[in-house]
Amino acid sequence: MSMNERPQILPVLIVGGGPVGLTLAALLGEQGMAATVIEADEGYCTGSRAICISRRSLEILGWAGIDRPVVEKGLGWTSGRSFYRTTEVLHFRMPSGPDDRFAPMVNIQQYYVERYAHEAALRGGATVHWSTRVVGLRQHVGHVEVELQPAEGEPFVLSACWVVACDGGRSTTRDLLGVKLEGVQYEGRYVIVDIEQETSRPVERLAWFDPPSNPGSTILMHRQPDNVWRIDYQLRDDEDPEEAIRPERVLPRVRSHLEMIGETAPWKPLWISIYNAKCLTLGDYRHGRVLFAGDAAHLVPIFGVRGLNSGLDDVGNLAWKLARVLGGRAGEDLLCSYTEERLHAARENIAYGAKSTEFMAPPNFAFRLMRDAALRLSVEDETVRSLINPRQSAPVGYVNSSLREVDDDAARLGRSALPGLPAPDAPLASAEGWHHLSEAFGRNFVLLRFAADAPFAGSPRYEGLTELTLLPADDVPRPGCPVDAEGLARERYGAPEGAAWLIRPDGYVLARWASPDPSALATVLDRHLGAPLRLAASEAA
Amino acid sequence: MEAEDLDRSYTALCEAMGRVGEGKASLLLAMVSLALIARQGSAEDVLPIIESAATSIGETP
Repeated sequence: MSMNERPQILPVLIVGGGPVGLTLAALLGEQGMAATVIEADEGYCTGSRAICISRRSLEILGWAGIDRPVVEKGLGWTSGRSFYRTTEVLHFRMPSGPDDRFAPMVNIQQYYVERYAHEAALRGGATVHWSTRVVGLRQHVGHVEVELQPAEGEPFVLSACWVVACDGGRSTTRDLLGVKLEGVQYEGRYVIVDIEQETSRPVERLAWFDPPSNPGSTILMHRQPDNVWRIDYQLRDDEDPEEAIRPERVLPRVRSHLEMIGETAPWKPLWISIYNAKCLTLGDYRHGRVLFAGDAAHLVPIFGVRGLNSGLDDVGNLAWKLARVLGGRAGEDLLCSYTEERLHAARENIAYGAKSTEFMAPPNFAFRLMRDAALRLSVEDETVRSLINPRQSAPVGYVNSSLREVDDDAARLGRSALPGLPAPDAPLASAEGWHHLSEAFGRNFVLLRFAADAPFAGSPRYEGLTELTLLPADDVPRPGCPVDAEGLARERYGAPEGAAWLIRPDGYVLARWASPDPSALATVLDRHLGAPLRLAASEAA
Repeated sequence: MEAEDLDRSYTALCEAMGRVGEGKASLLLAMVSLALIARQGSAEDVLPIIESAATSIGETP
């Protein structure tokens, strides 16, 4: 082992070069931190894997410029249909409109997201070691030593101030630390198949319960780019999972369903896998100097697409905190809020995921009987149809977070942009070239004022704070003063003139004031950003 | 009824059925149905629901 070299301590070592680890590396790059990534595989994943990227995830990817290639390559969608046998029993639409920055969901194969995140990570100065396994891990007072074994060549050691484990559901880091996921594993199994077939069908989430093509089963279909269909179907309890994924068992079922729905173009299978729903999480996402994110930290059922999307929210929450701690601008206790907020989110996601699973893969006779009753009734009776809704991923509020400030002006402000909730987006016109407010998030804290004039030039300025004055709709944008072009920001924030919001780098509301008093504002800014910068009078203008 | 309340009630009923077991689940469903029927304004609110459920299942045992 080449242990005689002078040990260099890296700021952050990311274990796992999947979509979560590579996105974290890209986000840290945006925060000025060059990360090192270790990945056991030799390259991007095979098979489509996590395919539904939520609007919130696109915002996070946007902080490192990964949103654009994902949107260009991916297929956006807003609605879904569920069928009982051949009757449509639910047509749901997710909130979306022409003013939105992103579609509510974009379908794209995971390997594309990995590639775009990798490219962004490299732009941000990251180093990626492929084909390299973690084989040992030792925690010290100020750093972690990680023993690595490349597929070819000698083992080596890297030391880092912080290790972030993004190494997935079978995390080696978890095993090396001796920590375990806790929760429920469901019995019901789903086969996952990618096939290539041309289609002109709209991009929607499609679900069939008890279809004539596969009686008793449940089938999900999603379109992906490159003429790929993702088909998931439920196995019967008496089917052997190893047998069930053999092509001679899978392909007739797929053929039968494609015939039933009238998709007659030639097709070929690309990838077959199997899945069973799990609701598992670690009890803490920080173990000394090792932090856990994504599937390494929690496993949620696929129904509702909360897996990769919650992993991206993990690293969106973590990147700015880690950068501030490493940059000496915040104490390590800021990282305690990472576990607090993301463990809360995981528990919410697990609760929703469990509900979806109880419908999609009923765990016992009672859930199966009631599901069948709901489906039969829903043919005629629309009052029960909401039970079929798949509860798609949505960002989780941190309304009890210890980071959130006291909301003294709650009575004068709306309920939609409370401290601890994601800051609403809105279209705007700006001198910076932004078309949406959320484009200002991701790097700095944002102090957002709803006013007709910029604040006076002598007010204190802080490192890491972007100040924006959102002018009314009839005004003209100037630097630092975008225009609330449709008036939607005022509406969505419930903001009277003169109100101000302080938004965290990850786009969550930290504090708000109906008519901010300079000293109250300064107290909160000092607490989160440190002392204001001292500037010469000429600079302050 | 709000979707969230329907969902909570649905899950609670599934869980209660699971606790009493498959053999007694139909008794539980009968008791819950009867209690809900008794809270309706009149038989006119109830009879179409019974008819439509029976038709959906098909009347051959």
